[in-house]
Amino acid sequence: MTIQAARNEALDELLEFHWMMDMIQTVDVGIVVFNRNFEIKVWNGFMEAHSGLLPSDVRDQRLFDLFPDISEPWLTQKVKSVFDLRTRAFLTWEQRPYLFKFRNYRPITSTAPFMYQNIVFSPLNSATGAVDHVCMMIYDMTDAASAKKQLLSFQVKEAEQEQVKP
Amino acid sequence: MLSVLICDDSLVARKQVAKCLPQDLESRIHFAKHGEEALDAICENKGDLLLLDLNMPVMDGYETLSHIKQQDLPTKTIVISGDIQPEAKQRVLNLGAIDFIQKPVNADELRSVLEKHQFLKSDASIKDEPEALDETLRDCYQEVANVAMGQAGDHLARIMNVFVKLPIPNVNLIEVSELHMMLSDVDAHESTSGVCQGFLGDGISGEALCVLSDSSFSDMAKIMQVKGKIDDQMQLELLMDVASILIGTCLRGLANQLDMQFRQGHPVVLGQHQSVQELISANKSAWRKTLAIELSYGLEGFNVQCDLVLLFTEDSMEMMNAKLAHLLEE
Repeated sequence: MTIQAARNEALDELLEFHWMMDMIQTVDVGIVVFNRNFEIKVWNGFMEAHSGLLPSDVRDQRLFDLFPDISEPWLTQKVKSVFDLRTRAFLTWEQRPYLFKFRNYRPITSTAPFMYQNIVFSPLNSATGAVDHVCMMIYDMTDAASAKKQLLSFQVKEAEQEQVKP
Repeated sequence: MLSVLICDDSLVARKQVAKCLPQDLESRIHFAKHGEEALDAICENKGDLLLLDLNMPVMDGYETLSHIKQQDLPTKTIVISGDIQPEAKQRVLNLGAIDFIQKPVNADELRSVLEKHQFLKSDASIKDEPEALDETLRDCYQEVANVAMGQAGDHLARIMNVFVKLPIPNVNLIEVSELHMMLSDVDAHESTSGVCQGFLGDGISGEALCVLSDSSFSDMAKIMQVKGKIDDQMQLELLMDVASILIGTCLRGLANQLDMQFRQGHPVVLGQHQSVQELISANKSAWRKTLAIELSYGLEGFNVQCDLVLLFTEDSMEMMNAKLAHLLEE
């Protein structure tokens, strides 16, 4: 009886783990986990779909080998505080439009040439309390960015027209 | 309108004095960092009333007073000093000062001195004092902020390899219109860039505001070992890095003491190269009073001025007070 109960519990946990993983896979936010050496441990469905790289292609590969456009000294400096101070680090699309050059989600009706991204680096505590991994979350900000850019260009146009008037 | 000149080498002190000026005193406020600047300002009619510190570099308060006396400059001087020896008081009065106030200055005392010398009509009926923060509670917030700020400063120092000059945290209940006053040490002529970031947890919510004066960027780039051109994009990058570290560590320090955790939203750029006024008024909303904790950091040997303001919503205070209750127990 008790063995049976323990078995059921273990099975439940396994099933739960399964749908939790599924959730990480399908959520519409890019999730990448890497270690201090920038070797990739998690690469979710969002990243797979947009980059065309399978999780098996990227696992244990260094981020900089897969994406040579990303500057290693720059990102290392950025992530240093996340590992050392356990604070989050942020990148906004205003600061740099993207880290991964992905195609726009709506290639037909949107005019943006690529996906604008907001990125968060968050420390992950291991069982021992040390921070050995960092979770990077990539948000699609294309709509907000295009709207703001449109608004800006409209304001500039208006200001120019004001100047033309006597 | 009365022009008031506040002369003190300490930024915190200048700000504190400005904040203590009665709200119904119709005045234009100017600042000077030492006696020479003050004399120049008086000559430009920027100092009908001079609030003067004694210990300052370049030209101290005593010298300033004797210059004013010799040249018969059109100003009245009230000395505000930490030097409370009777001798000091007597000396400044002999040199022509009309009164002497002890540091740290408080609003009530400054008010009564101004009334005494008729800079202000004494009218009890128009007393519309904003409700002040309970003294013990303020002290408590100040202490908590102090610890959090120390941690944030330490983190900044370790990442950047610099010595961080720690300020005295300023804790106040303010209204939105007062927010720009709070940041008034950022020179009115100087442009600034800022980001804000929302945070919440356990029924406590608020926003962190990080404002960096534009003149800080070249030194900041040196510290962060950035090579290449310091263009707008690079400045934004530096601002984000500083903001992430300061806001992140400061919030974590606060949260630890309150035994909770804050979630942080994504930071939003308030604006680049704007005056502080523009920065804030462009983002003004309908909030009323907030609890504001202001920290202004400087880096030794560098021209870097960075203000961090943590603003808590009014309804968060109840929860915070409850969480801080254990610190208040005897």
